[in-house]
Amino acid sequence: MANNNVAIRTQGLVKFYGDFQALYGVDLEVNRGEIFGFLGPNGAGKTTTIRCLLDLIHRNKGEVSVLGIDPREDPVSIKVRVGYMPGELHLDDSLNAEGLLHYFNALRGKSADWSYISELAQRLSLDLKRPIRNLSHGNKQKVGIVQTLMHKPELIIMDEPTQGLDPLMQQEVLKLVKEAQAWGATIFFSSHIMSEVEAVAERVGIIRAGRIVEVADPKKLGSRSLRRARIRFQKNVDRARIEEIKGVSVLSESNGREMLIQVEGEMDALIKALSAYPVSDFETDRPSLEEIFLAYYEN
Amino acid sequence: MLTVFKHTLSRSRGAIFGWGLTLALLGMMFVPFYDTIVENAAAFEELMAIYPPEIMAFFGGAADFTSPEGFLSLEYFSFMPLVIGVYAVLAGSGMLADDEEKGVLDLIAAQPISRSALFWGRLFSLWAIQLVILAFGWAGVMFATTYSSMVLDPVELLIPFASLGGLLFFFTGLSLLFSMLLPSKRSAGMLSGIFLVASFFLNGLAGLSDTLKEIAPFFPLYYYQSDNWVNGFEPGWLLSLLGFGLLFKLAAWWAFQRRDIRVGGEGGWKLKLPKFLNRKPVEA
Repeated sequence: MANNNVAIRTQGLVKFYGDFQALYGVDLEVNRGEIFGFLGPNGAGKTTTIRCLLDLIHRNKGEVSVLGIDPREDPVSIKVRVGYMPGELHLDDSLNAEGLLHYFNALRGKSADWSYISELAQRLSLDLKRPIRNLSHGNKQKVGIVQTLMHKPELIIMDEPTQGLDPLMQQEVLKLVKEAQAWGATIFFSSHIMSEVEAVAERVGIIRAGRIVEVADPKKLGSRSLRRARIRFQKNVDRARIEEIKGVSVLSESNGREMLIQVEGEMDALIKALSAYPVSDFETDRPSLEEIFLAYYEN
Repeated sequence: MLTVFKHTLSRSRGAIFGWGLTLALLGMMFVPFYDTIVENAAAFEELMAIYPPEIMAFFGGAADFTSPEGFLSLEYFSFMPLVIGVYAVLAGSGMLADDEEKGVLDLIAAQPISRSALFWGRLFSLWAIQLVILAFGWAGVMFATTYSSMVLDPVELLIPFASLGGLLFFFTGLSLLFSMLLPSKRSAGMLSGIFLVASFFLNGLAGLSDTLKEIAPFFPLYYYQSDNWVNGFEPGWLLSLLGFGLLFKLAAWWAFQRRDIRVGGEGGWKLKLPKFLNRKPVEA
């Protein structure tokens, strides 16, 4: 399985929790230096896959290689080179943020540069002196991000890194991810937010019900993505005329004056077609990832 | 391992002072009663003579309570297994499972530290904490002799505390092992606690029933020696408690290497029961 260009490889990864099968032979390959988005709805197997990579849980079948090492054989050598941000982040609340980071740094043989930790904290507006127990969910998340990046790891594994952060901080985290790539790190991050993955990932792996459904270019995925639009017209409009527009299907209508439509792919054709009608309001929305999956991967 | 050891020790300061001072204060509170007992020995002997044999058997039989050894055995060391046992059960079952159930262990285990180093770092720290707590207890009793007529040899007093330490070691190991095998910290603590209390009562009542006397050697409290420190102390009994405690800890270590670390908020896993116990109710 050894290949120097590959940071993460899984082949036929299977995981059971008792009688429940969480992974059904996951095959995945993440190249060194790339930002790889791992996308899937809740319960799809993202966290289980990630935890197998770090030997936090033991696989039942299949092969796994992280930075050329099997996590079952030598997990410590992997963890030295990896920064990990768990999806369900819980921190030791007997310390303050600084104390906790000192503890993690000591476990890492003091490999982190404290000035970089201070810089990260400053960029994320995190007060390191505050006790963990007094931190909000978002601020705890920031502590998690700092501990993930502080030692400038070769491989960064983040499970839903931006959850609980405000939009500005989400942007800052995605910026940090890009910067990490610049120093040569490979980034493997999971998310259930399509736009977030589209913004930074070079490739996207989609997992659903414990199986990799597709590995794709996020732009390609974006162009295939679904959008919803609610249109209010000033007068009655024939539903059939709207359904004639390329990629559009009408989900519901009320009195011919209000329609909920679904658009597949680009919005261009719809916008141009709507210019012929008296539109009083137009709202767009992205359906949930689960809905997208249902639409694309139903079978 | 040293980092884990130091960190665990540092975050357990509350437990050390809480349990240590409790043990010390109990000693400081009970020892002065010895003066009253000695002054009124005849009256107390009459009183003890009318006590039901069940109660006397429970507190160690007809020990000479006018001697420091007999008095401490009756008033202090007789119930200490329960006090120290509760601490042992809480400390053992929570050593890893507490952080695991809180979701904290996930991130710690993701740091570059082996599971063995994490396990032994915490366990060594727990041993150090328990030694300090016992030392507090010993110091409390010794300190109380400065304002009482009781005369104690500080070295000889180490013997019952060593026996107490043996029980502590045994029950810490047992509850730690249960926490690695059972679905939750609570179930591990509950099972170990039931075993502790059952063992305590069974051993206390063994003097009254031949059947219980035959069963008692299978329970750890039988090997606890609180009343025969000077003469008749059996080092083999102490070693047995320590040996079983170590065995449980080794088994817990083995189990910890092989189990999944639960993710935060996951709670306890479901214990797999035999099919006949796990039958679903038939719907009407």
